[in-house]
Amino acid sequence: MIALEVKDLNKKFKNFHLKDVSFQLEKGYIMGFIGANGAGKTTTIKSIMNMIHLDSGEVHVLGKNIVEHELDLKQEIGFAFGSIDFYTRSKIKTLTNVIKKFYKNWEDETYYNYLRRFKLDEDKKINDLSMGMKVKYNLSLALSHGAKLLILDEPTSGLDPAAKDELLDIFQELVVDGQISILFSTHSTSDLEKCADFITFIDNGKIIDSSEKEEFMDSYRLLNGNESQLNQLKERLISYKMNSFGFTGLIRLCDFDTSSDIKATIPSLEEIMIYFAKKEEMYV
Amino acid sequence: MYNLVIKDLKLGINPWFLALPFLIGTLMLIPNWIYFLVLQYFFWISVPNIFAQFKAQNDLVFTMTMPVSRKDMVKARVTVIVILELLHIVIAMIFGLFTFQLYPDMTYSFFAPHMGFWGLCFVMLAIFNIIFIPMFYKTAYKYGSAATASITATLLYFASVQWLGIQNSFVFETFNGNGADNVSLQITILIVGIVIFTVFTIAACSIAIKRFGRLDI
Repeated sequence: MIALEVKDLNKKFKNFHLKDVSFQLEKGYIMGFIGANGAGKTTTIKSIMNMIHLDSGEVHVLGKNIVEHELDLKQEIGFAFGSIDFYTRSKIKTLTNVIKKFYKNWEDETYYNYLRRFKLDEDKKINDLSMGMKVKYNLSLALSHGAKLLILDEPTSGLDPAAKDELLDIFQELVVDGQISILFSTHSTSDLEKCADFITFIDNGKIIDSSEKEEFMDSYRLLNGNESQLNQLKERLISYKMNSFGFTGLIRLCDFDTSSDIKATIPSLEEIMIYFAKKEEMYV
Repeated sequence: MYNLVIKDLKLGINPWFLALPFLIGTLMLIPNWIYFLVLQYFFWISVPNIFAQFKAQNDLVFTMTMPVSRKDMVKARVTVIVILELLHIVIAMIFGLFTFQLYPDMTYSFFAPHMGFWGLCFVMLAIFNIIFIPMFYKTAYKYGSAATASITATLLYFASVQWLGIQNSFVFETFNGNGADNVSLQITILIVGIVIFTVFTIAACSIAIKRFGRLDI
């Protein structure tokens, strides 16, 4: 079953254009939504949450159109903007007592289990929580109202390596029984290498690729060669960097002749992102 | 919508702003004062501070992530504004009754706090709502220009009406002279004021719902 289906989203702003954004997230999986700052991750997430009006396109959550069934579907979505804090001077229990009234399937027992598990003190103010604890509090809220789809906008930004690792482990635990799906945006590719099943890569408002993680990385090659080899390949490279030994560049596997003598390796997600960002610079 | 009103009252609005009407209401005990000013404090102090708090706490995005309709978000916020306005005016009216007891022989230079005067006050609140609410919902977070425009309009209104009350003998007689003893006239003016307040507030709410519905957050 498809947990989230994004179809041909288009939205024009003054200085930015979301162009034909499409991808699907299957139930019970984690999808990493990657892209540089300003690539369109948050705008896409806002479209999913029906916070912006699309010029065209559709979003379906658990098979239903978000525009037509917004209130029902928001009961099933757990949502967290990593970088934004709400009512930070309020205590956890004050905030929870207000929030839980909005959800039909709220379960106090589940909530208190998560508070214990995440070592969250109800009497603490939001401001007194570390970044990692804030994300855990958000997860506790989402899971206590029975959310089937978690949409997390940069939940790992600002976390120390240990907190990040713990959070990624929690994400993996949550999807184990196949009921919960997670879409989380990040510009930190190491998060995704650890826990994502699928990768959707957005660049300058356009989806570059959306596929299974290994397949995604395997569809590119990082090439190292000399200047004369660069001249033969230049047109087919996504972008390249010159160095004292020659060049390093990224190419789509379909554009690369694997029988050639150029040294080719499978790039990391970070390298793919960097070379796509460099492509933008080359055309500016 | 009920949950949204409770959310605003529990999270968004500092309890101080619910206590303020009692404190400001005591200004009604100042003898022979310009009593329009009592309600102006709500516009000058409560409104900017409350809306600054909503903005600072990212209330808009917070609320948008929950299962609530945009229409209910506007209706709840307008309800909260009306609750605060009614709190201010009703408490001021009660203090106004004490004013008559305290100073029974007072000759009022400005409007005395008879029922007709409170009708004029309801019209002032109506003017505030019809300007502030639709202007605020152009963005749903910027409140500065909406507050400036609406407060300026209420100042112009009360200055003009008060000036008429001093300069025009008919208006003076209606509110401070013989008309003040005419209970049916006073009640009629109060009811007309309440009707104008209700109509303007409902109109403001429906314009705001349309504007907010079109907004990208």
